[in-house]
Amino acid sequence: MTTTTTNAGADWKSPEAAARVRKRHAGDLRLKFAGMAALGFAVLMLAILLVSLFANGYQALRQTHASVTFELSAEHIDAADPQRGNYRAIVQDAVQGLFPGIDNPGELRSAVGILSNGAQNALRSIALNDPSLIGQEVTIDVPLSDPYDQLAKGLVDRDSPEDQRRLKDADIALFDTLQARDVVSLPINWALVTNADSRFPELAGLQGAIWGSFYALLVCFVLSFPTGIAAGIYLEEFAPKNRLTDIVEININNLAAVPSVVFGLLALAVFIGWFGMPRSAPLVGGMTLALMTLPTIIIATRAALKAVPPSIREAALGVGASKHQVVLTHVLPLAMPGILTGTIIGLAQALGETAPLLLIGMNAFITEAPSSLVDSSTALPTQIFIWADSPERGFVARTSAAILVLLAFLIAMNAVAVFLRSRFERRY
Amino acid sequence: MQDAITNALAIKVACDKVNVHYGDTHAIKDVSIDIQDKTVTAFIGPSGCGKSTFLRCINRMNDTIDICKVTGRIELEGDDIYDAGIDPVQLRARVGMVFQKPNPFPKSIYDNVAYGPRIHGIAAGKAELDEIVESALRKAALWNEVKDRLQSPGTGLSGGQQQRLCIARAIATAPEVLLMDEPCSALDPIATAQVEDLIHELRENYSVVIVTHSMQQAARVSQKTAFFHLGFMPEYDDTEKIFSNPSDKRTQDYITGRFG
Ligand SMILES: Nc1ncnc2c1ncn2[C@@H]1O[C@H](COP(=O)(O)OP(=O)(O)O)[C@@H](O)[C@H]1O
Ligand SMILES: [Mg+2]
Repeated sequence: MTTTTTNAGADWKSPEAAARVRKRHAGDLRLKFAGMAALGFAVLMLAILLVSLFANGYQALRQTHASVTFELSAEHIDAADPQRGNYRAIVQDAVQGLFPGIDNPGELRSAVGILSNGAQNALRSIALNDPSLIGQEVTIDVPLSDPYDQLAKGLVDRDSPEDQRRLKDADIALFDTLQARDVVSLPINWALVTNADSRFPELAGLQGAIWGSFYALLVCFVLSFPTGIAAGIYLEEFAPKNRLTDIVEININNLAAVPSVVFGLLALAVFIGWFGMPRSAPLVGGMTLALMTLPTIIIATRAALKAVPPSIREAALGVGASKHQVVLTHVLPLAMPGILTGTIIGLAQALGETAPLLLIGMNAFITEAPSSLVDSSTALPTQIFIWADSPERGFVARTSAAILVLLAFLIAMNAVAVFLRSRFERRY
Repeated sequence: MQDAITNALAIKVACDKVNVHYGDTHAIKDVSIDIQDKTVTAFIGPSGCGKSTFLRCINRMNDTIDICKVTGRIELEGDDIYDAGIDPVQLRARVGMVFQKPNPFPKSIYDNVAYGPRIHGIAAGKAELDEIVESALRKAALWNEVKDRLQSPGTGLSGGQQQRLCIARAIATAPEVLLMDEPCSALDPIATAQVEDLIHELRENYSVVIVTHSMQQAARVSQKTAFFHLGFMPEYDDTEKIFSNPSDKRTQDYITGRFG
């Protein structure tokens, strides 16, 4: 025991000491405010993003419809073959009925343009479904075509010079007549999720893209989740520590940072070029995304395994569990929340990934939802890309709405992650 | 016959010229020791002298450390445990271990104790497993405290209860030798006393080896004491003899508190 030193030099009441204390408190406050400012900035940016998406996209959440009565006259449809009926003529007749004042073919043609082309398809499927309706009248809600939809939503400036608008004064007059007849409505645009893509904005929907993304993510998950966990377990628990495993490890870390477009090129060359797999197919898209997701899952798995306290391993080994029993029954369950979090992050990234899918042709124009893994299809991000590139006014709002749908899917996936994490979470 | 048993207890673990290397570190140097059956043997010595390392040689826990190399001969009832024909997984069922920090599995109390018997196929059915669990918990003096909540998590118990649960888990596979590495260092005095009582009782059936940094504890619970110093084992004798009249200078210095 040496003699205890006294604090002879320190005078806790001196002005210098007080200044030091003030300085320290100021430092604490500065750090706290810097953190709050950073957080505030992040939240603000997020809010701006969401507000602008909503501001642009909410118009696409509703679609102008008109309730129109059509006569499925037997003159135009052969009951034996409803598929080949002259539905154009039926629509023309109905439009003529709507606007009795029209008497020349040119005016009638532009009046027909007020209804979406989808009207003919809708009539065809009615006739196909129930041929007994042929010869009778049906009243259905048909979407108005895009320019009139814009007009109904008040997005067309009626006071601007006529030559600067797509809709001439005569067209606007037709619409006003229709509206005065009280047949125009503005219901929720379910077509946005129940229709596949179309050249006509009023008919275009995300169903094909949603299924395409679903199939691609399914393939991605099925390939990368078990492979990633198995690879992570091997590297973390079984692999000898030597040069070879070091090199593998470095490469996996690098792989996680490779730009996604490179994976697209690789997939184009290998999957489509060598193996001759179909272009634009969710199967190939999923395989490409799996290449990108795999390193993320491996890294997450290893980090999660490393975080399991060694005492649990020792406990299991100590009662005579073998290596695989230790890993499978004790370590892996405890690592599962971390692995799942990493997996969901990887899948969420994959869901939003555009570049590799463009390269393998998932930006094709396809008007039907894929019914299998090898059907041509788009995916949500590539659909957004296509729509953002389309000139029609109606696609502007639909692009933002599609982004909102994509965000909704991301939020749903994160909710699943949170749920799974809380279910697996155990204290130790 | 009676005399033969009390005077000359059988040798359970015979260690001959054991050396352990961690890479370049020579952690155990030429240690030879015969550990008796139905005896509590204490390992004492300053920290870092190799007590844990030597203890972990006896159930081959050192196998799990890549850089650790064990040479020499360790026999359990005459069988070389480092022989190629010996499976370390089976060995660890015969030589149980209790660790410094209580480490129950994040599972129910029942599953904690039942885990060993399950993986080694010791119980024939549910009824027998129940019996094994109950008897292990009784031997670990924990049964009365937990019998009504066998399905609640083992991690929810107090520190002392957790350590007794770990002991129950270790004895559920009916090991022949029980290794304990500073089992009381994370416990309060009351829990320590309970565990020490338990060690007394375990001695009737098992050969117990306990590492402790408390010399009072060694004196209280053990019949034999081995003193470790810088990887060597300078002295191994009856506990009474070591604490009253050690023959090695280093032992004497340690016991009288001159270093350690
Ligand atoms: N896992 C390990 N890797 C490398 N060296 C180790 C390891 N475990 C113990 N050692 C070394 O072996 C020596 C003995 O350690 P240990 O057996 O833990 O001592 P004690 O239990 O007596 O305190 C120490 O020098 C320690 O640094
Ligand atoms: Mg130790």
